[in-house]
Amino acid sequence: MTFVEKYKDEIADILSRYPVRRSALIPLLYVAQRDQGYVTESAMQEIAHLLRLTPPQVYETITFYTMFNLKPVGTFHIQVCKSLMCALVGSDTVIEWIKTKLGIGPGESTADGLFSLSVVECLAACGTGPMMQINEDYYEQLTENKLDRILTDLRSTGTSPLKSGPFMWPEPVKT
Amino acid sequence: MTTPTAQMVRIMIDGMTVNVPKGTLVIEAARRVGVMIPHFCYHPKLKPDANCRMCLVEIEKVPKLQTACSTPVDEGMNVRTATTVVNDAHKSVLEFILANHPLDCPVCDQGGKCDLQDFSHQYTATSRFTETKRVFQKEYFSPLIETQMNRCVQCLRCVRYCDEVMDVKALAPVGRGTMTEIKHFGFHPLDCEFCGGCVQICPVGAITSRLSMYEYRPWMLKRAETICGYCGDGCQMTVQTKGQELIEVNSAHGAGRNNGDLCARGFFGFHAASHPQRLTHPLIRRHGALVQVTWEEALEYVADRVNEIKAAHGGPSFGGLISGRCTNEELYLFQKFLRMAIGTNHIDSSARYGHVNGLQAMQLVQGTHRWTVTFEDILDADVLILVGTNITETNPITGLKVKEAVKKRQATLITIESLEPVVDTMSNIANLSHHHFRIPTSDTHHAIVGLVKAVLEQNLTQPDLAQRHPTYVNAMTSALQQISWQDLQAATGIEPDAFVRAAKVAAGARRVVIMAGQLLLRSEQGYSGCLTLLDLLLLTGKLDAPGCGFAPLAEENNDQGAIEMGTVTELLPGAQPITNDTERERIAKQWKGELPTDKGASLIEMLERARVGSLKAMFIVGENPVGSLPAVIHAEASLRNLDLLVCQELFLTETAALAHVVLPAASSLEKHGTFTNTEGHVQAVRPAIEPVGDSRPDWEIFSALSILLNSPMEYAESKEILKEIRSLIPGYSSLGPTPLPPKVDHSAVDRYLTDGYQRDLASRYHPISRASRPDGTVRLELAQSLFHSGKLSTRSKGLLQVEGSGRLRISPSDAARFALSDGDRVRLSSTSGEMTTEVKIMERVPQGTAWFPSHFGQAAVQLFECAIDPITHVPSFRTATVSMMKVA
Ligand code: SF4
Ligand code: SF4
Ligand code: SF4
Ligand code: FES
Ligand code: FES
Repeated sequence: MTFVEKYKDEIADILSRYPVRRSALIPLLYVAQRDQGYVTESAMQEIAHLLRLTPPQVYETITFYTMFNLKPVGTFHIQVCKSLMCALVGSDTVIEWIKTKLGIGPGESTADGLFSLSVVECLAACGTGPMMQINEDYYEQLTENKLDRILTDLRSTGTSPLKSGPFMWPEPVKT
Repeated sequence: MTTPTAQMVRIMIDGMTVNVPKGTLVIEAARRVGVMIPHFCYHPKLKPDANCRMCLVEIEKVPKLQTACSTPVDEGMNVRTATTVVNDAHKSVLEFILANHPLDCPVCDQGGKCDLQDFSHQYTATSRFTETKRVFQKEYFSPLIETQMNRCVQCLRCVRYCDEVMDVKALAPVGRGTMTEIKHFGFHPLDCEFCGGCVQICPVGAITSRLSMYEYRPWMLKRAETICGYCGDGCQMTVQTKGQELIEVNSAHGAGRNNGDLCARGFFGFHAASHPQRLTHPLIRRHGALVQVTWEEALEYVADRVNEIKAAHGGPSFGGLISGRCTNEELYLFQKFLRMAIGTNHIDSSARYGHVNGLQAMQLVQGTHRWTVTFEDILDADVLILVGTNITETNPITGLKVKEAVKKRQATLITIESLEPVVDTMSNIANLSHHHFRIPTSDTHHAIVGLVKAVLEQNLTQPDLAQRHPTYVNAMTSALQQISWQDLQAATGIEPDAFVRAAKVAAGARRVVIMAGQLLLRSEQGYSGCLTLLDLLLLTGKLDAPGCGFAPLAEENNDQGAIEMGTVTELLPGAQPITNDTERERIAKQWKGELPTDKGASLIEMLERARVGSLKAMFIVGENPVGSLPAVIHAEASLRNLDLLVCQELFLTETAALAHVVLPAASSLEKHGTFTNTEGHVQAVRPAIEPVGDSRPDWEIFSALSILLNSPMEYAESKEILKEIRSLIPGYSSLGPTPLPPKVDHSAVDRYLTDGYQRDLASRYHPISRASRPDGTVRLELAQSLFHSGKLSTRSKGLLQVEGSGRLRISPSDAARFALSDGDRVRLSSTSGEMTTEVKIMERVPQGTAWFPSHFGQAAVQLFECAIDPITHVPSFRTATVSMMKVA
């Protein structure tokens, strides 16, 4: 089954929200990413076709935004902000900690497939840096201690009480 | 678009006053007074993007520096481009760019013509950057185009060109910030139109042509400004050579009718001339085989044989066929040679394959043999109607004019094409269309009739036409009443309403240009379709309105010249009918002789006469009827019957292989002359290299033969022939930058409206009979591919790399129906023959149709019937119903 067939209804709903078809690109890419954990080439092609774009145009968008993955990521996708504000308060150190603790650098995954690390642009939590996002949750004002607890929690329960909540995602207005 | 009425403003640039239309960009205003503001991302063809910051200038009263490429001028503006502040800004921008630039000029093909090099010299910019530079992984990009992303200055000109101008959108900036690189789709090699536009527009060496990689420095090359020989668009190009070696082709911004744009054929197709199989020596058939001889032997042999045959059977036992790849001078001399030195009117050319249909329709209705519009009128049009063009692939540069008119100048586009409007690797004109009538090529005429019917029924006709010519309007009205909407809808699958909407748009617009392409011109309805389109213009009062007109697109580069030089059977030089006695006398007087009196035979008639033995000898120049005509015509058998077949060719084609004498001809890259493009613009052809081997320009061969035949036509150079042409065809176009199109001849229009239309009204407007296709069959059409045109493209190594063999293009739904996937082999069979080929699934192909590229169509041609138009004698063999079967 193709991606478009599999998510027929959800896609139709998304398309109905945008008067200009190509505006649906990012929401559709999220659907594709949710499906496989990353955006596959065939999904890109299907989405391009659906929106009357060329595949290079879809590829361009995906590579511009850090939240889209072009290859499989671990169960927990750690995304450390490395933009200016966080950098000033030590995002580099956070990345170093992760390197030592998990043995992975940016763009890499642990052998057990549990963790992947990315460095990303500003996630709009500049006042509470250094910060990272893991899957859809934010973790702010990171310290080494906090990081250890988060990693342990995730390993054992799949979630951590230290999260400050999911990043905001505008829900469609229900009418 | 700047309208002529645009308000003028007065501004100062570096102390110089300049008056320009309001809204002109500062960078352009500066250019007018000779001030070149350094820039990377700006290009006059593209919308301003202002991303590189190289063009900063000071504007009085504006606190910060401004980008000259995106700031429009306003009255009283005072701009300074060379103050210390500005220079410092330019230096720092360069420093930023150089921070990551590899400075590998010694191995970069752009070296010597690179903007970054030039500006760096100008500003002696240095870099204080000591960190490591970014390095991109080197990836294979495409067979013809190479990228070296470390050199990229991220100006996005390539991406914008590919989108804004080409409408292909094959390139994308991938990633973010410094690490942005230009790519196609992921790791896939580039698949696009290969127009070379990105190579030409890149200001540095980040995108280059593989055909000339590491071959040269600009100062090592010799340049020749000439005209592309691949299609009727007639693009101006610069051919660059090192000795006899062809290195590169490009076209300067603003050059020629193409404004510096080229298509794949022009940009990458130039190697055809230096193909190793070029014929380099005259050949004569001895004991069945072609053997090498000297020019003297060959020419004397031809002259002797001509004298013998002429003595025995007379001049009219000779015939001649010439290709539109030849120059005007050659076409002219060919017909003069045949008429005067040989004594025959049996002359025809490649224009017979379709262009003649458009010509005869224009002559009948509006009394011209040329367009009454130019490319500028296409750009300025309010409504463009494209009929059977597949313009991207057949006439790519005319296609760019259409794209520009629609995308930048808001023209409304009506298309009657068989294309599905889908986005894929090539641009698709149907995607830009506002009223797209998707209809199989063979039914094109029904859709045109639909528009005419809508015009008549909705009273969209020009008000006083019915008063002036009631019989015409009444005849049309009643003819169209015979055709019911129901039948039209059944035949076209299109709602009557769609016709009405499009007809209203066309009738209500001020400037309407109709373009007819090969798919119509070369079809069985080529002539009638053109007439019906002209009816449409007539009825709506647009035929002679300013900016309006009918534009049949020429396929071969000089098909239009072939018509104007009198190398089609029905015409004398100047496109005068051969039956026009005053013209005959005038020409005979000029030529100081008698014109033969026989009625000329057209291509198919000549072949028929050869077959029955009344035609004894033929001169065939650059044409290959054996390879191009369907089996039912029996071209090979006919030619084998001749006592003398002389071929002037670049390559040993199927036809040349049958010849008694083969004379090696020089290509258009090796000679002087002129070509007349599809608009009727006469342009100079100049040699880039010496004739290959012992080959000679075709005109020299005719001239040499004429001397041996005792009716000398001697010219020191081709210019003298042009002089003679000009004396014979008053005012034969000057070589200026813009063609002056002829005006509609009102007496011709009146004749048409009085009785001319009656000749075939009934056959054009008749009730539609429904034919259905049997199961398991497809409609096979010969279609032109973007990567091949003219006579020589299949010898070009560049183009062969993109498309090296013919594959049958089928739609995804037919692929499913016949259980086929890409690359599977199928057998096609019709009542006339069969062939096996590979399939290529393309979404733009409509269901039920299969396209085979005509340049690889020699096997496919055998499947077609051939219909000969009774009036224009155009043979058409473009569609056939064939059954398709998968084979292992
Ligand atoms: S060569 Fe291809 S990628 Fe480059 S501008 Fe032309 S169509 Fe676009
Ligand atoms: S490849 Fe050339 S044209 Fe394209 S962005 Fe880079 S420098 Fe500009
Ligand atoms: S083939 Fe035609 S469109 Fe292409 S460059 Fe040559 S003349 Fe221009
Ligand atoms: S800089 Fe890190 S969240 Fe804004
Ligand atoms: S040329 Fe003006 S910003 Fe690039």
